Amino acid sequence: MRAPSPAFLERLATAAVDEQLVDAFFAHVETPLGRLLVVHSTRGVCRIAFPENGEDRLLAEIAAAFGPRIVACESASRPTLDALAAYLEGDSAQLQISVDLALVRSAFGRAVLAGLARVPRGEVTTYGALAAAIGHPRAARATGSALGRNPVPIVVPCHRVVPGSGGVGHYGGGAERKRHLLELERAGQAR
Amino acid sequence: MPEPLPPFWTLVEEHGAALLDHAQRLVGPSDAADVLGDALLRALRAYPGLAHGEHLRAWLYRIVTNVALDQLARDGRRELTSSGALPEAAAHDPGGVEAFTDLIAPLSDGAKAVLTLRYVADLPYAEIAARLGCSPPAARQRASTAIRSLRETLT
Repeated sequence: MRAPSPAFLERLATAAVDEQLVDAFFAHVETPLGRLLVVHSTRGVCRIAFPENGEDRLLAEIAAAFGPRIVACESASRPTLDALAAYLEGDSAQLQISVDLALVRSAFGRAVLAGLARVPRGEVTTYGALAAAIGHPRAARATGSALGRNPVPIVVPCHRVVPGSGGVGHYGGGAERKRHLLELERAGQAR
Repeated sequence: MPEPLPPFWTLVEEHGAALLDHAQRLVGPSDAADVLGDALLRALRAYPGLAHGEHLRAWLYRIVTNVALDQLARDGRRELTSSGALPEAAAHDPGGVEAFTDLIAPLSDGAKAVLTLRYVADLPYAEIAARLGCSPPAARQRASTAIRSLRETLT
């Protein structure tokens, strides 16, 4: 018994995406931060996950939120995969990818992530300052939790928020990755 | 709570090899991938309409079987008409094969497969046996059992 070939599966998935038969599609990309899982809904990137996040559970969540017609499709994911790889390897300072934040259920969570648009590459802010900037000056802790639930890390730059007391603070992908991202963006800025 | 539908791709990964094998037995190695591809796209279209995530393997087998039988029916019609094996009237009556397909529709997938291989694709029992993974006498036996059940459905 032989398994269907990767080329066959990719052709099938591409046809499914082209015929608009899917609710979401996913692919992987190797980067200096590890092998990332990248999931697109029909409207944009809806989830990026680090390898330790547990793919089966994660795709089940995507199915519950967007629908069960989920396929692995590299060709349709290609522009995003290439942009992420170039950004994380330091070859590009731009990361313009459309995102779908449908996985963020609360209005507050969406406001926190939208607030990150004011923190450009190479700069950082604090949990307290971001909370104040979106009109909830006393919600620094809740802001931290909302950032921790960011479904699209890297593209939505929650790594640019650090504790006022110093250090890099928490990160869904681990402090080491956060430090790496901040150094990458600082270096790019200095150039 | 009904079992939720799993991401479609996990089904493809779990059952893809077995389904390809199944398609290959029915239509042979050269057409198996095409049949599987058509079947999986058909399955994807119907997938959100399923009420629950149970018996999905059997559901996929059924779709692959149906697509394979359609393919055999098309091939059979082409071959029969081009070889002149069918009487003139039947050759110009593409409904002949469809009528046969309708006729055997109530039978089990296994029975449909053996009858289509025998009477539409017009294969010898040795070839049918190879596709179904059984001996030629067993293939002949399955065909005669299928014809018996067909008679029962007609009476």
